[in-house]
Parts: sequence; structure tokens; C-alpha cells
Amino acid sequence: MAGLVLKGIGKSFGPVEVLRGIDLEVANGEFVVFVGPSGCGKSTLLRVIAGLEEVTAGTIRIDDEDVTGQRAAERGLAMVFQSYALYPHMSVYRNIAFALENMRLPPAEIEARVRRAATMLRLTDYLDRKPGALSGGQRQRVAIGRAVVRDPKIFLFDEPLSNLDAELRVATRKELAGLHAEIGGTMIYVTHDQVEAMTLANRIVVLNKGRIEQVGTPLDLYNRPANLFVAGFIGSPRMNFIRGRVGPEGRLVTPDGKVTLPLPPGLAAAGEVTLGIRPEHVAPCSAGEADARIAVELVEQLGSESYLYGTLADGTALTLRSPLEDPARRGEDVPVRFDPARLHLFDAAGLAIRP
Amino acid sequence: MSETGSPPRAILRDSHASRLIQAVAGLLDRPMAWIQRAVGGRGMAYVFLAPNILFFGLFVFLPIGINMAMSLTGGTNLFLSERPFIGGDHYRGLMQCGSYLDPASCREDHFWKGVSNTLKFTLFQMVAMVGTALVTALVLNRKIRGRGFFRAVYFFPVLLSPVVVALIWKWILQRDGLLNGAITLAGGEKILFFVEPGWAMFWAVFVSVWAHMGFYTLILLAGLQAIPADLYEAAEMDGTKPMRVLTRITLPLLWPNLVVVLVLVLIKAVQTFDEVFVLTGGGPGTATLMVVQYIYETAFANQVQNFGLAAAASMLLGSLLFALTMLQLWIARRKAA
Repeated sequence: MAGLVLKGIGKSFGPVEVLRGIDLEVANGEFVVFVGPSGCGKSTLLRVIAGLEEVTAGTIRIDDEDVTGQRAAERGLAMVFQSYALYPHMSVYRNIAFALENMRLPPAEIEARVRRAATMLRLTDYLDRKPGALSGGQRQRVAIGRAVVRDPKIFLFDEPLSNLDAELRVATRKELAGLHAEIGGTMIYVTHDQVEAMTLANRIVVLNKGRIEQVGTPLDLYNRPANLFVAGFIGSPRMNFIRGRVGPEGRLVTPDGKVTLPLPPGLAAAGEVTLGIRPEHVAPCSAGEADARIAVELVEQLGSESYLYGTLADGTALTLRSPLEDPARRGEDVPVRFDPARLHLFDAAGLAIRP
Repeated sequence: MSETGSPPRAILRDSHASRLIQAVAGLLDRPMAWIQRAVGGRGMAYVFLAPNILFFGLFVFLPIGINMAMSLTGGTNLFLSERPFIGGDHYRGLMQCGSYLDPASCREDHFWKGVSNTLKFTLFQMVAMVGTALVTALVLNRKIRGRGFFRAVYFFPVLLSPVVVALIWKWILQRDGLLNGAITLAGGEKILFFVEPGWAMFWAVFVSVWAHMGFYTLILLAGLQAIPADLYEAAEMDGTKPMRVLTRITLPLLWPNLVVVLVLVLIKAVQTFDEVFVLTGGGPGTATLMVVQYIYETAFANQVQNFGLAAAASMLLGSLLFALTMLQLWIARRKAA
């Protein structure tokens, strides 16, 4: 049974259409991540699900009940805000207990639930403190505790890690994954960080300009992007794109004819196409087995690996990952080979061409 | 100023204003350099403070000193040199009471009537002012149609002179005024608002609230707008009822602003004079006579002008206001910390 069903969701702010025709089903217990660039509508979609924004079209069903017209409080959801939204004048205990007091639960049960959440989130020592006396990570845990304690139908997270430093983000990310494994609730998580999306999600929803571009498991999106947008958005550094035409020998020929490249085997393609290959699937090689040569413009050494940024003979930018510690120098001409099994092909409309 | 914040040098160089400023600065350069050599770098701070200190000394501290001296001297002469020293006689006279709760039992019964009226006025006005300003700020903080218009409308009376405010309301409230016209039109009988003590005090408070509410609304509105919107969204997600949002979230977070408003209203109410004086003249009888009006009349309006007694009363009032101002500063500093 689907925990959440969105059908034809549309949302406009005046003349600006922020969401258009969103259809999505989220199963109970799933961890779904909405990802997309700034302004793609991911946070608005989350707020629409929460009931903090009204839809202008479509229906929202939670556990088979139509909640489209219901207020946020009636939907039984909990949300963790980007800014944490902790009540600054209340202690950690009061912050966590506040929603339970609203529900008029018996004091003993409130106490038990708060203590349980505090233990789970390692907040027991801070229950008497005000949010102002906590670190960013602790505040984030209080915000999560406030959601957990209510035992909601769905947890909603709106970029909850974006205010944390890099180290704390990784640690909190692990905690969230652990939390999902422990309590098993349905979680919907918004982020613009694809690493968060890839590491946390059961399924990722890629949004662009108010539409869903693709829904799938992290590896699905990485290995089988549905279109140029998803191919470019998932993966870091982003996928290389080389525009051209399918030539008479079944190879890609760039517009100026200076570069010819192999096409993915077994695909029937013709006319204008875009070839896609991720930096990790292009490798420096000997001149004899090269598919192309790149003029290196920049080398990024990350220790375990290096990235070479350069251009093909026709000027198309190409990035590749080199496992060597001292791979090449700026200005060098490096022969490279494309992994034929990892090539992606997109038609003139930008849609993936598949066998 | 940061590099990006400053205007491009070319514009600054070419503008007439900048040339004028440079010319003036050039003229001041030499004397300033001379003064700095004379008093040193640290001494320059006092040089720049001097004009303001002189101004304050002349128009604030000196009058306070003269007032203090006046309160310790007797007679009807205005010049201190002609006034005999009588010590604390005026203060003793002001404090001489059978019972402080009964102004009629006091030697200076009008002073104590003024104190009693000012206390009543302050109490009613504080409750009415803070209550109305709070409700107005809460309403204006919502996304209502014409919010900008209403914000301006409520603030406009603040811009009016107190005398103008009082005259407008006098025209409305007098025996043949607008309000009585409306009452008679509706078939009612005229009410003599300035003849019945209860009505006179009511309107004194009402007019004062009408005239100044906009200012306090603005302070509270600023406080309300400083409360992050996501706290309200979190409360909504938590299923908080509107009244609980008000009592558990809005009011506690607005409390520092509310306290500032309370103290400011208190100080203003204790100082009240012009509006009530023009509106009711302190009447009927002494029903709306305030302390400041007592001081004014004792010093300037009575047939026998008793500057010493008025000065003593104003010193007492000044001490109270000083204490209240210190309280307000303390609260403001605590809020800033």
C-alpha cells in the first residue's frame, strides 16, 4: 500500500507556476529524496505535502485518505526545517514535548516519549538547555527528536543538513540513515546535494523547473539517466556531453568533423545526438588504443585520484578521472579511451536512446 | 566601508558635492591639525564632543541645577539671588498629608490630586495602549489586504501635534460637537463629556491612546516581524491551536519588545500634560488634573506664582522619571545582550 500518492499536483504563486503535473507514489517505510537545482520546486513540493502550502491542482492521499484540503496539523506529518525552527525560549525538553502537549497526552506518556527520543538522539544531557546553548549538530538532533517523538505517518526533511559544516554533515547523514533503519518510518527528504541523495535514498526524485525528470534508485539514475538533465545532475563531476551527428560508419562525428567517437553498441541512432560519458569512465591510455585526445587545461589532485579538465580537438570540454597520482600536466596532449559499456546516447530532444 | 560599498572614485571626484566637501575639509584641515597638536590624539574625542556637551549643559543640566536651587528657595522673585534659602520646606510642604490616600487631607491637595489622577490615567492608559497596540500589531502582521494602508493610517496621528490632536477631539466631544450631533441624530440625548468626571477621564485616556498608539504598534510590529516565520510553521505542524501559538510562542518571543513599550508608555503617561490640558483643562474641577499641569499652574498660571513649590514638585516628578528611564535603559541593554 502506498503511504503517499500525489496526482497531478500543480502549484502557482500568482503567475509563476512552480509545480506542474507531479505524479508520485511513495511506499510505506520508503526513504525518498527530492533533489534538483535551486528553484526547481523541491521545497515547495515538500511544503505542499506538509500542508504548509495549498495546491492549485491535483490531489494528495496519505494512507489512502484524501488530505488535499486538510490543514497541516490534521495530516499527522512531522517536518524538520532547514533552520531547525526550534522555539528559542523553550528548553530542549519543552521543544520536544510541545507537540505532545498539544495532543493532550498524559504527562507520564509525554515524559516517557521525550526521554526515549532523547536517549535515541543522545540528547539526555541537554534536556534543560535552551537551543541557543547547543551546537548546530545538537540543534539538528533536537529538531529530529521533535519529529520522532510524535510518531508521524511521514517524516519530512527540508534540507536539514545544509547549515552544518562538512564533517558534521557526514556524521549526521549517517545518523539519519541509522534512524531510518531503526524506526523504519516513511521519510521524504529534500536536498540539492546529490551525495546526500545518493547515500540516503531508497529512491530519488529528480526535479527540474517544477516537473519530475526521473524517479528511480540511486544506481538507476546514475547508470540509466532518462535524459540529459538527469545525466548532468547526478554524478560529480558531471557527465561529459559531446554533441554531433551519427556518421556513415556508425560513429559520432562532431559538427566540425574534427572528432569521431564510438557510439554505444547495439543502439539504433541517427541524426543529431549527444554522447554522454562520466569522467570516471574515460581513462588515459596509450596512443594506439585512444578514442580521442584531450588538451589538458587543469589538473585537480585529490590524493587518491586526480581529475583532468581539458578540451577535445573541436573545443568540447571533457573531464576525466585519472587514478595516477601524477597524471598529466597543464598543456599536455593526453590520449584517452572511453569505456564502451558506459556510453550514454541522447536524441535531439535530450531523451536517452535505449536498446 | 567596503570596497564594493563605496561609490566609484571617478563619480566622487567629479561630483559638485564632493568638490564642496573637499573644499570645506581643506579649510578645516589646518585649524584641526593645530588643535590636534595642542590636545593630542586622545583629546580630539573631547573636542568633537564639546559642542554637544555645551548644548546639553546649557539647556538640560543647567536648568536642572537652577530648578534644584529654586526648589530650595522661597519668595516670589524669579531671580535666584533675590530668593531666600528655605531648605527643604517646599518638599516638606508637598509631603505634608493626613493620609496619602486622601488628597483632600494634604496641605498641597492639588498636587496629590494630580498624583492620584496621573496614577489612574497611567494605569488605564497603559492597559489600553499596550492592549490596543498589541492587537493592532497582531492584525497588521497578518497578510491582510491593504496592510500598508492601515499601517500608515494608524501611524498618522503620531505625526500630529498634541494640541492639534486635543483640538480635533474637543470639536468632536464638546456639547455641540460631532459625537453629540450623531447621538441626537440617532434619537439619544446629548452627553456632557467634559462635565462628568468619569467621561472626562475616559476621553483623556482614549485620545491619548488614539494619538500615540501608532508608535507603539510600530515597535511591536517590528518585534513580531523579527519572529522567524518557520517557528509558526513548526507550530502548525505540531498541531498548535491559534490561542496557544499566541500565548506560548508569540507573546514570549515578543516579551522584550512588550516590556520596552510598557516602560515607554509609563514614562509618557507620567509626563502627560498638553493633550489633556487642551482637551479638558484638568476639569471638571480637578477630575483630570495631572501632576505636570499642577506644576505649570503653580509656577505660571496661578495669581501667586510659587516657583519654589513648582520646582520642588518637578524635582520629585523628575526623580520618578529618572528611575523609570534607568529601568527602560536596563531592559533595553538586557535585551541587546
